[in-house]
Amino acid sequence: MSRNRLYSMVMLACLLGSTYLWIQKTNILPALSGESDTCLIKSISGVPCPSCGTTRSIVELLDGRFISSLQWNPMGIMVFLIMMISPLWIITDMIFRKESFLRFYSRTEYHLKSKWIAIPAIGLVVINWIWNICKGL
Amino acid sequence: MELQKVDLFIMTNAKFFEAHHLGWVREQLIQMDDSKWPTLQMQQFKDPTTYLIVSLLGGSLGIDRFMLGDTGLGVGKLLTCGGLGIWAIIDWFMIMPAAREKNMALFQSVLNYA
Repeated sequence: MSRNRLYSMVMLACLLGSTYLWIQKTNILPALSGESDTCLIKSISGVPCPSCGTTRSIVELLDGRFISSLQWNPMGIMVFLIMMISPLWIITDMIFRKESFLRFYSRTEYHLKSKWIAIPAIGLVVINWIWNICKGL
Repeated sequence: MELQKVDLFIMTNAKFFEAHHLGWVREQLIQMDDSKWPTLQMQQFKDPTTYLIVSLLGGSLGIDRFMLGDTGLGVGKLLTCGGLGIWAIIDWFMIMPAAREKNMALFQSVLNYA
C-alpha cells in the first residue's frame, strides 16, 4: 500500500470515528445515539460480534471510568489508543516528509502474519467474543 | 511466446484480472520469454468470486481482508465492527477489484522474476 493512500485512509477513518463518538457522547442526534444497529452481525443474527461494545467502552474511558471501560470491551482501549496516536504520528510524518508510520504499519502486518502471534491473537478475539455473548451486549 | 499459448492463458485466467488490464497482460505475455511459462502456470491466482462470498459472510470480522493478505485493514475492520458496518458494505463491492489487483501484482512479480 502506498504512503499517501494509507495515510489518507487512516486519517479519514479516525475523523469519521471521532465524529461518530462525538455524536454518541453529546447525544446530539438521538436517532444515532444509544442502542444503534451499526453492527451488521448483531442486527442480522441478534448475537453480538467480538467488537460490539467498543463505542460504549470508549465513552466510559473518556469519562475516566477505566474499569467500566474494560468491562464493556477491552478492544475499546486499543481502538482509543490507535485513534489518539495514529493521527499525531501521521501529521508528524507529513511535516517532516518521512514515512515512519508506513514502515511501522508494514512491519506490524508482517509480524501479525506469523503463526506465533496470529494464533494467540485469534484466540483472544474468540475469548472476547464468548465474553461478549455471555454479557449479552 | 506463442500466440496459441497466450490466448489459452487469457481464456483460462481472464476472470482473475481487470478487463482493462487484459490487453496489457496479453502484450506482456507475447513479449515474455518461454522459460517463464512454467512458473506462470504454477501461480495460484486469487478467485474474486470466493472473496465476494467471504466478504458477504465474514466481512464484518475482516476475514476477507485477512485472506487477501491486507492484515492491517483486516484488524481495522475487526476492531470497528466492519467500520460501523459501512466499510463492510463498501467492501462487498471493493473486494473483487482488490483481489484482481493482487493477481496483477503477482503476475508482475512473475514477469520481473529473473
